[in-house]
Amino acid sequence: MLSAVDLDRRNQWLRGILDLCVLALLARDESYGYELGQALERAGLGAIQGGTLYPVLLRLQRTGCVTTRWQEGDGGPARKYYRITDAGRDCLARDGEDWLGFAASVAKLLDEGGGP
Amino acid sequence: MNAEPWLALLAGELRRQGLADPQVATVVADVRAHLRDSAEDPYRAFGAPERYAAAVAESLRGPASHARPVGPVRLQADGITKRYGRRQVLRDVNLTVRAGQIAAVVGANGCGKSTLLNICAGLISPDAGTVTVHGTLSHSPQDGGTAPYLLPDEHFALVGAGKGLTRDRSRTAGRARAGELGWQDVGATLAGQLSGGTRQKLNLVMSTLTEPDVLLLDEPYQGFDRGAYVNLWQQLWRLRDDGKAIVVVTHMLNELDQVDIVLDLTEANS
Repeated sequence: MLSAVDLDRRNQWLRGILDLCVLALLARDESYGYELGQALERAGLGAIQGGTLYPVLLRLQRTGCVTTRWQEGDGGPARKYYRITDAGRDCLARDGEDWLGFAASVAKLLDEGGGP
Repeated sequence: MNAEPWLALLAGELRRQGLADPQVATVVADVRAHLRDSAEDPYRAFGAPERYAAAVAESLRGPASHARPVGPVRLQADGITKRYGRRQVLRDVNLTVRAGQIAAVVGANGCGKSTLLNICAGLISPDAGTVTVHGTLSHSPQDGGTAPYLLPDEHFALVGAGKGLTRDRSRTAGRARAGELGWQDVGATLAGQLSGGTRQKLNLVMSTLTEPDVLLLDEPYQGFDRGAYVNLWQQLWRLRDDGKAIVVVTHMLNELDQVDIVLDLTEANS
């Protein structure tokens, strides 16, 4: 269980990277909101509340990185599926590389500082 | 867990944020589907409706657009200096506002915000400097220009008459503007008996009714609840889109990313 301070810090990290994490998941396969939240948690990002996730999905949709379609479930309710676009893949490739470079720099700094 | 009351609140807040009905329906449907899947409490998963609505609106709007076209200069204040006795209130202050821009004048109490606005309105003279206004100007002072023994409709008629509007046209236009600010029941209450917040709305309606090119507002949200405050900014953004030049004196800093110009008098005078 994370303390409130840790949680706050983690939320700040997420603010900068959650859109790319969502795009990375969608690059594998289309998915719907709840399932994406579950997948992000399984990936180790902690519980992502709907209040955090859906604004990101709206932003990705607005910027043309994802498209949506409603699909009837098998006997279940209809769900809105998100699918990555070519523009979304471009964004993921470009900004994902930026992030990896940035994260590597952070790791180097922490390491030199006698981190974990 | 019945999420419908929360969803109803959300729909209201989304409309307040200026979303069109189809967008409201989409956002509400997304949340409803998520809550059905997760079986969570909406307050836990999405937080307070007004905060979630604000986050959604920001996601849909995007960052404040810098590409918005602006028009010609409407208000230009150059080198404004003012002293009261030995106290220097304003020192060489400059402000240029174009059509389609909102300028926020901020700073600590007593730093000369209202003085600057009064100088721009031509109500007091600066010791040095000039103000040039291109077009018509309307000024909404902090302590109201309302008449306690007149009805709101009579205020609208009075202001409208200055622009040649008939009594009926003035009333219709005034009530429409009041509605935008969430003031629905403009009725038979004398201005002097309105609550402070509603009287401030009356003040605002009067200053926008004549469609001025330049609008000067001195802390225009006194006595407003949070909903009215959101409505006010929605109205200001609409007026900006209509090409008005707006100057707002404010100490509320959380909307500053939505304005085009910030003049901090604390810095300017130090």
